Amino acid sequence: MPVQIEFGARTDTGCVRQNNEDAYGLAPDLNLFVLSDGMGGLTCGEIASSLAVDTIITYCREAESHQASAEEGSCISEHLAEAVRRANQAVHQLAEQDPSGKQMGATVVAVRFAGERMSIAHIGDSRVYRLRGDDFEQLTDDHSFVEEQVRLGRMTRQEAGTSTMQNVLVRALGVDSDVEVDVSEELFSDNDTVLLCSDGLTRELTDDQIAAVLRETDRPEAAASHLVDFAKQAGGADNITAIVLRPHSRSGGVGRWLGNLRHWFR
Amino acid sequence: MSKLVLKFDGAVLREVAVGAKEVSIGRSPDNGLVIDNPAISHYHARVFREDDRLMLEDFGSLNGTFVNGQRVKMVHLKPGDSVVVGKHTIVVSESREPETVVATESPRAVAPKINETVMLDTRERRDFMQKVASAGESSQVAPSRFKVPTLVVRKGKTNRKEYTLSGKLTVVGKSALATVKLTGWFAPKAAIQISRREDQSYYVGSADKVPNVNGRPITHPTQLAAGDVIEVAGVQLEFVYHD
Repeated sequence: MPVQIEFGARTDTGCVRQNNEDAYGLAPDLNLFVLSDGMGGLTCGEIASSLAVDTIITYCREAESHQASAEEGSCISEHLAEAVRRANQAVHQLAEQDPSGKQMGATVVAVRFAGERMSIAHIGDSRVYRLRGDDFEQLTDDHSFVEEQVRLGRMTRQEAGTSTMQNVLVRALGVDSDVEVDVSEELFSDNDTVLLCSDGLTRELTDDQIAAVLRETDRPEAAASHLVDFAKQAGGADNITAIVLRPHSRSGGVGRWLGNLRHWFR
Repeated sequence: MSKLVLKFDGAVLREVAVGAKEVSIGRSPDNGLVIDNPAISHYHARVFREDDRLMLEDFGSLNGTFVNGQRVKMVHLKPGDSVVVGKHTIVVSESREPETVVATESPRAVAPKINETVMLDTRERRDFMQKVASAGESSQVAPSRFKVPTLVVRKGKTNRKEYTLSGKLTVVGKSALATVKLTGWFAPKAAIQISRREDQSYYVGSADKVPNVNGRPITHPTQLAAGDVIEVAGVQLEFVYHD
């Protein structure tokens, strides 16, 4: 039986940048949700991230329509990985045509639900988190220079969090004609909340703060909004995007209302 | 007549003349030469005249001031000297125009984005690591040396006795979003907030309540110094740096 996902998303240019190079796509008919953070000069970032999102959703939709029956879990993961590879080719080809020669690229996180499982495909340092009870866990590894340094034992996680090198990626969409896509599968349950976000959110708020918003806000739409408002209050130095997902079957209970964060801070 | 030519990536952004009055340089809008970029401290440095010489003084800025490649505290400037602050370059130039000419301002270029995401592929990464290693002082890879301050609860009821200010924004209040959780029936959802700025300075600001800092209510977001005591909603918090 196809699972019902309740979703909410919000994106914002933030307080410092001139334009928004983040993009996201919601395909609830496929239980597919995609987020991308673009890079490169001028409008390259916006073009790269939109193209990445569109390519992935289009590919998955076409693959779905060619299936006779509902896809098996592992098929979903394979198709998702292939979709991301197609997106990489699309962005890379476009970048090759770009006379300015700037590095056009993007990060991507794509999540698709089927049965009790969710498939996650990602490249770059946009993230997927899961809140389950008291546990708030990052489900993806950043493809960033500092993350690599931490893994190699050359930097502690706290040092990585304050490093000036945080914006350096070691893997991105569109930079090479071929790219390795990280794919994983996770079980999800009724009480889980899943968050897809660009680094504009996680640079501004601590994990505890993000988890608190997700715990306290019932509706995903409101939660995504609150996350963005809170991140802007903390500085909003980059574009901010959040997609909040919850299985629909969860009984609502009394919706706790945080109020309008904008009115708190003067 | 000396002037300071502000450049970024080779492009001239602005020129400011240095007359009898000093020219202060920094991110804050009340400086003589405003550079709106996170790598620059609010009050970064100044250029002034001493006898007949042009002098540069760094205000103890976070990222430093470099003249012709050397980090300086106080130094004499000559025409042609290249002053680097953050990613901007200021060229000292001497013009033959009379003293009374007002500083010329070229149209202000859009502030270039700092911290833009960039990608290092394998070859670039090798080159980069080699460059860093051979530079000896691996300052780019080495961790930042700034210290994270703590709020110590001196009076009042909160969920903990101490809070490390590791985030960019810390909320004091009753709400679930608050880090410093106030108990008490009448405690506001968000009493005050403490923000960390790009130069690692911390500011306290009002939300629902106006706090006292060292006994006096604040009128705008106020920078915190070690030892400052914040009082709000029945709670007293001391801003400290532990060793």
